[in-house]
Amino acid sequence: MRNFLVSFGRAMGSLVGTLYQAGREAVDQVWKNILPFLAFVAVIVGIMNGTGLGTLIANALRPLASSPIGLVVLSLIIGLPVLSPLLGPGAVIAQIIGTLLGTLFASKTLPLSSALPALFAINPQVGCDFIPVGLALGEAEPETVEVGVPAVLFSRLITGPIAVIIAWVAAAGM
Amino acid sequence: MDALVAFAEGFIGVFKAGADWWWAVFVGIVPLVVVLMTAFNAIIAWIGQERIENFGKFASREGVMYLPFRYLLLPVVAVFVLTNPMAYTMGRFLPEKYKPAFYDAAVSFVHPPLGILPHVNPGELFVWLGIASGVESAYGATVLADLAVRYFLVGLVVILIRGIVTERLTAMMWKKEAAA
Repeated sequence: MRNFLVSFGRAMGSLVGTLYQAGREAVDQVWKNILPFLAFVAVIVGIMNGTGLGTLIANALRPLASSPIGLVVLSLIIGLPVLSPLLGPGAVIAQIIGTLLGTLFASKTLPLSSALPALFAINPQVGCDFIPVGLALGEAEPETVEVGVPAVLFSRLITGPIAVIIAWVAAAGM
Repeated sequence: MDALVAFAEGFIGVFKAGADWWWAVFVGIVPLVVVLMTAFNAIIAWIGQERIENFGKFASREGVMYLPFRYLLLPVVAVFVLTNPMAYTMGRFLPEKYKPAFYDAAVSFVHPPLGILPHVNPGELFVWLGIASGVESAYGATVLADLAVRYFLVGLVVILIRGIVTERLTAMMWKKEAAA
């Protein structure tokens, strides 16, 4: 009986401890990563909405975002091997374009069927700024990095548009 | 004077527009993210480092047959339990020739789950949420959930294709490099 109580108490203690630690990490993340980014986006959204600049840019993006071909073109531009490493850091560009397009979906200016392909069209550059670091985290040799960086960059030119097309098909019935 | 007042109003209006947006997101999204992240952080702690490593070794096999292991199962589990950017450390179990393809597959999966599992990459939530919040305000929560599930599923297909294409390109460039 006593053994049972001891192990039961231990188990409960570790359960609570793990959950508490998990909560601490979650709040830390929100505090350090999410809220500052929200503040940053809020300023941009304010400028966009308050001055009408957003409407201007959104209108410029609208022809690209409203047809499958336009979205493929958008993914090709963002996925260009010279642009993609520049557009990658922090996914800032994808997040801003996404927020601008979001206002167009909110006003139903863009059809709902474009939402899924648009999610992929704004993001063919994902991680292109991070390839050497990401490979180093995987303990890759320098020679692998040398080959891997162009391999991933060129792969995006092919798979970026493919992703948009697959997403377009998968959005059927939305 | 009137012009000055109008200017001041316009000026503060810009920031008020931003503040309204910030508040809507803060109230609408952040509590859900906190609760989900807490739950998943705890689950990951219970799974434990050792089991995750064993899985990495298990999924890192050579050969065409194991393509879905390398570029689907391994990146999905890596992103789910280790999150961005630690997920890429799972590449260490793979032979060198597969590492770029694995990185490509893994990094391409740090956004598609965000609608369901925001803990994998909370710092880049708006890659998903920018479009998603617009969709939600126009069509409601059910359509939003539909979009989230489809984003997740298409993400699975896309990372497998990326892995395969990048593996081929890596092999081609390796040959060129060796010949040069």
